[in-house]
Amino acid sequence: MHQQATESAPAAGAPADLGSEEFSSLYTEHSRAIYYLALRFLSDPQKAEDATHDVFLKAFRKLDQFRGESSLRTWLYRIAINHCQNLRQSWHDRHVFSNADDAVWDNAVAKTDSPLRVLETKELGQRIQKTLDGMSDEYRLLLLLVADEELTYEQVGALVGQSPDAVRGKLHRARKAFAVLFEKTA
Amino acid sequence: MKHQTKLSEEQQQVAAQQTESSGARTFASAEEMLRYDAKHTTVPPAVVQRLQKSTGDLPGPKTSWWKRWLGGNEP
Repeated sequence: MHQQATESAPAAGAPADLGSEEFSSLYTEHSRAIYYLALRFLSDPQKAEDATHDVFLKAFRKLDQFRGESSLRTWLYRIAINHCQNLRQSWHDRHVFSNADDAVWDNAVAKTDSPLRVLETKELGQRIQKTLDGMSDEYRLLLLLVADEELTYEQVGALVGQSPDAVRGKLHRARKAFAVLFEKTA
Repeated sequence: MKHQTKLSEEQQQVAAQQTESSGARTFASAEEMLRYDAKHTTVPPAVVQRLQKSTGDLPGPKTSWWKRWLGGNEP
């Protein structure tokens, strides 16, 4: 699997040479965030690779339409979320697959304030993926976006179509779901 | 920034804490764990190679209109 580096991956990767300086720096700065979102949302390294390529190709074609009303990161995330959700949706249409029911987490017993401990970080990626796979698309996406330090609650809310307060409320339940499911992967 | 409000100081200290065992680690929250995972994830080099091919035949991206408006690097 190529999604996990054995040790720490380079901070921003080598500068990409994609013809235009503006587009190259866009890719260098944001490709990891977009790839990571696609990887953990789609749960498939090959699909994530394809999605990252498609998202940046779309960005290349539409860069002149970027209005600067949001950050470039948010703009790219919006393209990526639409793309990944379309892929997931077409997959759902072909397979009868029901999402995890979020209401389950309301009564789940989990100490969300307790730290999450792992004994071996080597298999962390697999455990995280297994955990996210057990969550609804909504909670999975929420956690992945909130984990990005460059995004504010307002920006996350705009991306998922919720108010910042709603994001905070759902985040609490998403953390609880993550904690319960992560324990089960041990 | 959002994360100053998202995690308490105590939680952030816990996040920074690494246990004695070499591969063991403690994370204050799910987000902290995802952030760590993301930092250790590499974008496959094939993506940039494919992009070079895909964009090679296309005209270069036009500079964003707001950059042009601000007198950016339009030739």
